[in-house]
Amino acid sequence: MTGFLLQRLMQAAAVIVAMSVIVFTGVFAIGNPIDVLIDPGADQAIRAKLIAQYGLDQPLWRQYFAFVGNVVRGDLGTSMVYNVPVVDLVFSRLPATLELVLVSVTIAAGIGIPAGIWAGYHPGSLSARAIMALSVLGFSVPTFWIGMLLIMTFAVQLGWLPSGGRGDLGQLLWFETSLATADGWSHVIMPAINLSLFKMGLMIRLSRAGMVEAMRTDYVRFARAQGLPDHQIVTRHVLRNISIPLVTVFGLELGSTLAFAVVTESVFNWPGVGKLIIDSILQLDRPVMVSYLVMVVVLFVLINLVVDLIYARLDPRVRLKGGA
Amino acid sequence: MLKTLLKGGIAAAALWAAAPGAMAQELVIGLRAGPDSIDPHWSTLGSQAEALRHVFDTLVGVDENLQLIPGLATGWEPIDEDTWEFKIREGVQFHNGETLTAHDVKFSIERIPAVTGPMSMTIYTKRVKDVEVIDDNTLHVHTNGTAPSLPNDFIRLFVVPASTGMEAGNEEFNSGEKAIGTGPYEYVSWEPKGDLKLERFDGYWGETPHWQTVIRREIADDAARVAALQSGQVDLINYVPASDYLTMQGNPDLDTFVSDSVYILNIAPSVKDEEPQPITIDGKEVEGNPLQDLRVRKALDLAIDRNTLVRVVLEGLGTPANQLMPEGFFGYSDKLGERQYDLEQAKALMAEAGYPDGFEIDFTCTNNRVPGDAVVCEALAQMWSKLGLKVNAQALNGTVFFPAAAREEYTMTMSAWGTLTGEASYTYGSLTHSKDDELGLGAFNRTGYANAEFDTLFDEGQMTLDEAKRRDLFEQASFIAMEDRALIPTVILQTVWAAEADTLSFTPRTDQETLAYKISPAE
Repeated sequence: MTGFLLQRLMQAAAVIVAMSVIVFTGVFAIGNPIDVLIDPGADQAIRAKLIAQYGLDQPLWRQYFAFVGNVVRGDLGTSMVYNVPVVDLVFSRLPATLELVLVSVTIAAGIGIPAGIWAGYHPGSLSARAIMALSVLGFSVPTFWIGMLLIMTFAVQLGWLPSGGRGDLGQLLWFETSLATADGWSHVIMPAINLSLFKMGLMIRLSRAGMVEAMRTDYVRFARAQGLPDHQIVTRHVLRNISIPLVTVFGLELGSTLAFAVVTESVFNWPGVGKLIIDSILQLDRPVMVSYLVMVVVLFVLINLVVDLIYARLDPRVRLKGGA
Repeated sequence: MLKTLLKGGIAAAALWAAAPGAMAQELVIGLRAGPDSIDPHWSTLGSQAEALRHVFDTLVGVDENLQLIPGLATGWEPIDEDTWEFKIREGVQFHNGETLTAHDVKFSIERIPAVTGPMSMTIYTKRVKDVEVIDDNTLHVHTNGTAPSLPNDFIRLFVVPASTGMEAGNEEFNSGEKAIGTGPYEYVSWEPKGDLKLERFDGYWGETPHWQTVIRREIADDAARVAALQSGQVDLINYVPASDYLTMQGNPDLDTFVSDSVYILNIAPSVKDEEPQPITIDGKEVEGNPLQDLRVRKALDLAIDRNTLVRVVLEGLGTPANQLMPEGFFGYSDKLGERQYDLEQAKALMAEAGYPDGFEIDFTCTNNRVPGDAVVCEALAQMWSKLGLKVNAQALNGTVFFPAAAREEYTMTMSAWGTLTGEASYTYGSLTHSKDDELGLGAFNRTGYANAEFDTLFDEGQMTLDEAKRRDLFEQASFIAMEDRALIPTVILQTVWAAEADTLSFTPRTDQETLAYKISPAE
């Protein structure tokens, strides 16, 4: 177990180093952030001074090692636009994204998996076909469009829900979150549904496919022959067997939603990290872009680690071996 | 008995009437962009100045048309070739109770170089050599050389109390600890990309604003901002997109306010000996740079149908431009007539220049900086194709465009420029003056344009303190640059605000600032 963890951490470190080099070089290739940020009234002397002040006149490798040196010392840099440490900037917005993603993946899994199982258990039935048709919609209709549709219907026409933003905050255990207040929920529900649709479609399809396959296997037939009731077969045996792909995809989706819920956050003006990173890219706020992407890599590595650990619990055949 | 009932009824009615009144003390504005910091000396960003103007006052003020008016300085005049005297307003209080003196202004000027960021505010203080306090209400600013436009530079000079101290930075301002100004509103709270909350300051020296509480909410997404207004979450929004403007005009529930902006879309043709991206005929590179020929630049200009650009492409939200600044700005030339659209003459000029069948040229624009930049770009390419040109138009994100433009990699570009100081030296000094690193002129001249006659007139204007004379020199200079087609202006962009019908009254400003203290409830 320790060996497995150690190996995983080493892999993670390698991925992070590779990623930081790629991101840094890519961002460097776009050009000089001063040329995006600078005021049109500035003259040559001011421009040259700024470029030197931010170390942008240095060669790429020197800028990179300066960055790495700072990261090692725990300094992920300071935003060129907000003049706030990147870590503070990201963590001030992370709670908003976390609660949005949490609600949305709960909706996606809570509705998607049972619906998919139902559809797989009764393939060919009318309800199954309806569920599958809906899942296709969830896949194919663009998120921003559904978002606008939700806003037009529930905020503008009916006036039931606010059109955007994050609601009042309340205390829940140790966190300040909008999930602790009614106003907060009224704000979070629409963007969360919007964000969950794609994932829900995915969950439905995956669990249905797994279900259909599993129901044809020998162990199900034997269980039936033994006279076990169907609900027991499904919950005790089938579910466990189809959950590995579900957990994998769930983990990946969780990561990508946390990092890049950009569209939904923009449409609903949700003050999360996705919007932050997009704005930083548009302004070429280099420290935020680079540090954020490195943080995302760490996040993905962590999620994959957790997923691996869950595998082992779900399927005893998966052994977590240390070393090769 | 009846009387008491009546009294009670009246009291209840009064209460009922008072309740919406109290509500109406709050104004929520949905804005496309907010500040980057609460430190007023951090950045020159327009949305930053707009937001912080509520908390801090500037030394010199500007009216809706960007012309100078008294601010914290009641008056200013040059007392010799390189000294300006500013009279500081008496009886002005900071939010912490301190009284404004010339020392605070001196401190503010000197603080800028120490704390400013990549959008460096030193552009406003670069002419300042040193600052001398004569008495509490008199300040002398010594400049390096003659600086006639110093008062224009000071329209964004926000004044903080000297007690702020040089060590205070972004953190102290964002937390509110040092967010102390003399403005009409006191700072309550702000988070990046979120809400800026403000409370009316009762000791304000100017006219007391109507709203007790103001919330400036940043809603960057256009559609989300419109939805927030339609669902009643905000009272007013800025930068209404053109498509929504059309539908709003037919909607009796909403009022729209339209105004010319300072932003003009200009075409910049490179006139260097060798153009950065080759201009070709049948795939073969043309000898020399055709854009160096004034006839070619004139032909490009004549082939632009500005009325169509405004009416069709921009849905009416624009005005044809004939120079780099809107009318009424200091240095605007009245001698330049309206730009003509004449395809026949344009074709004749092309033939005369030796390109009867046109050529193939790259044309690069921004696509996200101002409303309409990408569509105008495409439209221009089509208009020039009628001239026989094959135009490879490409609209790029500003993140890609500006660094490459700064490296001068484009043969012909189009981007927006706004004369934010309301006078010519800012614009022509940067864009059309020949490149001169020592004088700090031509910093954004990426076309290689250089005209000695223009430079002489402009430089003389820069040294002339007499306003009428300077105005005349700048007018002559802008006339020359425009006749030369150093840059080709196309359209002045207009911007739109929207509010619920009959709720608010306000006068849109050329600089597009949405200032809560200039907004009042509709009569």
